[in-house]
Amino acid sequence: MKILHNRSTLFLGAALLILVLFPLFNDSRSMMILLTQVFIFGVFAMSYDLLLGYTGIVSFGHAMFFGIGAYSTGIFLDRMEPNMFWFLVSLLAGFVIAGIVSYIVGLLTLRLKSHFYAMLTLAFAGLFLVVAEKWRTLTFGNDGFTFRTPELMKDRMTFYFICLGVMALVFIILRRFTHSPAGSVLQAIRENEQRAESLGFQVLHYKIIASVIAGVLASLAGSLYAVSLRFVNTSVFTMDVTLDALLMTIIGGVGTLIGPIIGAGLIEFAHHWLTELAGTYPIFERWIIFFGILYILVVMFFPAGIVGSLRKLGQKKKAVKKQNPQQKKIAG
Amino acid sequence: MDLIINLALNGLATGMLIFLLAAGLTLIFGLMDVLNFAHGGLFAWGAYSGVWVYALTESFVLGIMGALLTGLILGMITEKFIIQPVYGNHVQQILITLGFMLVLSELLKVVWGPNQLSTSAPDYLAGSWVIGEVIIIKYRVFIIAVGFLVFGIVQLVLNKTRVGLVVRAGVMNKEMVEAFGINIKKVFMYVFMVGSALAALGGILLAPYSGVIYAEMGMEFAILAFIVVVIGGMGSFPGSLFAAILVGLTGSFMTYYVPELSLAVNMILMALVLVFRPQGLFTVKG
Repeated sequence: MKILHNRSTLFLGAALLILVLFPLFNDSRSMMILLTQVFIFGVFAMSYDLLLGYTGIVSFGHAMFFGIGAYSTGIFLDRMEPNMFWFLVSLLAGFVIAGIVSYIVGLLTLRLKSHFYAMLTLAFAGLFLVVAEKWRTLTFGNDGFTFRTPELMKDRMTFYFICLGVMALVFIILRRFTHSPAGSVLQAIRENEQRAESLGFQVLHYKIIASVIAGVLASLAGSLYAVSLRFVNTSVFTMDVTLDALLMTIIGGVGTLIGPIIGAGLIEFAHHWLTELAGTYPIFERWIIFFGILYILVVMFFPAGIVGSLRKLGQKKKAVKKQNPQQKKIAG
Repeated sequence: MDLIINLALNGLATGMLIFLLAAGLTLIFGLMDVLNFAHGGLFAWGAYSGVWVYALTESFVLGIMGALLTGLILGMITEKFIIQPVYGNHVQQILITLGFMLVLSELLKVVWGPNQLSTSAPDYLAGSWVIGEVIIIKYRVFIIAVGFLVFGIVQLVLNKTRVGLVVRAGVMNKEMVEAFGINIKKVFMYVFMVGSALAALGGILLAPYSGVIYAEMGMEFAILAFIVVVIGGMGSFPGSLFAAILVGLTGSFMTYYVPELSLAVNMILMALVLVFRPQGLFTVKG
């Protein structure tokens, strides 16, 4: 176990090192922007993984927290001065709003069956989309608005490192959290809610904690996303954003944290390349259809996703190795 | 006065369309414990295939038939290949049906293109009646009549026939029905197909009503249908009619008087129901 743990830490360290060194060897601007997007959606998908993978809560409205972050950053940087101070204020504002909304939604539905949370989050996200479209004085409606970003974040390379740093930080925090006692309770809830409750844990309390943390982190991802585009419009509240998180988390591997990051990479790169391919083959304009089918197949046959399935494979190999000497003993 | 009548008729008609969508959802949920997030996709498919047949044959009745057939076939496919493999696992079911919704709405764009289609009611349903000072649009009355007709037929089948007896018994206790030697899986399939056909019917009826159809409308109406199902009580058929009319009427009146709040009011209604009566206003299980 110790060796395995060290090995995976080593692997993660190597991957991080490659990503840190990458800008030094790379001179393609679009590649750097693409990777920045991957980091941002990695944070978003990880926040979703905390809900789906670790607590077993299905949310269909994760886009609303993403959108809350994106709009609060956009609005603050546009109306106030575009500097780091107001960026941090906007982050904080996003956190507070996302926290309150996820708290209310959680309080309303998390005591009921999983269907209710899925439905209510879906409906709430729809409400946010309508509000963003209608409240034109604040959001400029459907067209959205552009804004200037802080000096520090103007440089694409600096922003690349900021996003990479944020992703690594969120990963470490979530890893610590999921391995903490509270994290174990969340996993117990996922495995068997009644049992966790009869062991004396306030299940609702823990579920709401997970929901609030996921909401706040999604808002963080939304803020970074707005800065990366220097533009925000109602598309951040649409179902597509939630579907992105779902696809990334499920295909990458639920309950693994690293899986959603890999999923984010897969989807973002596929999106980039397949959109290019669509120029020659029009069928690729509907590239999402392939991911939809892949997603259904993964849910049906590999519910653990890429990373989870690989881990299972590794464990099986180890189990076989361990078992073999014993079998010989029994046979002898 | 004629404003109020018109708003009420408008609300009733919208309510009936939502009811057709919610009826399938609630029956399927009551019987199989499955919440089908792909239901909106079936609604949109019903609309597109129906409009396609309608445009091809210039017969609205054939268009409705086409939509119903699409609903039945897609319902069978959904039940057999999407729901059955993950039967009994709630999280997987919710996830997979949403994935299927995504595939359905993207496929729709592949088949009929990403642009919206426009259509209009056939001559015998177009136009309006003038009674005194009140102008009544014929097509709205038609939708309301169809809605009540469907409600009547389904209610009759549920309460007066042997099939209905099996379905109602299945909603209350599946195991017991199986113990009586009835193949509940077949019943599931038929209910699913009928539910999908109702959704498709809602789709084709909406098409001339709103004039245009687009792929995203499935999700928009599905959200309203979910609100209806929560308010009416999951699994309750009369509850879904009542809640659908309620949501339709509030939607129509609020859109006229306070347009900013129209969706919010429905959400508040749902939130209130969830807080004070989470099992819904009407419940099946005692």
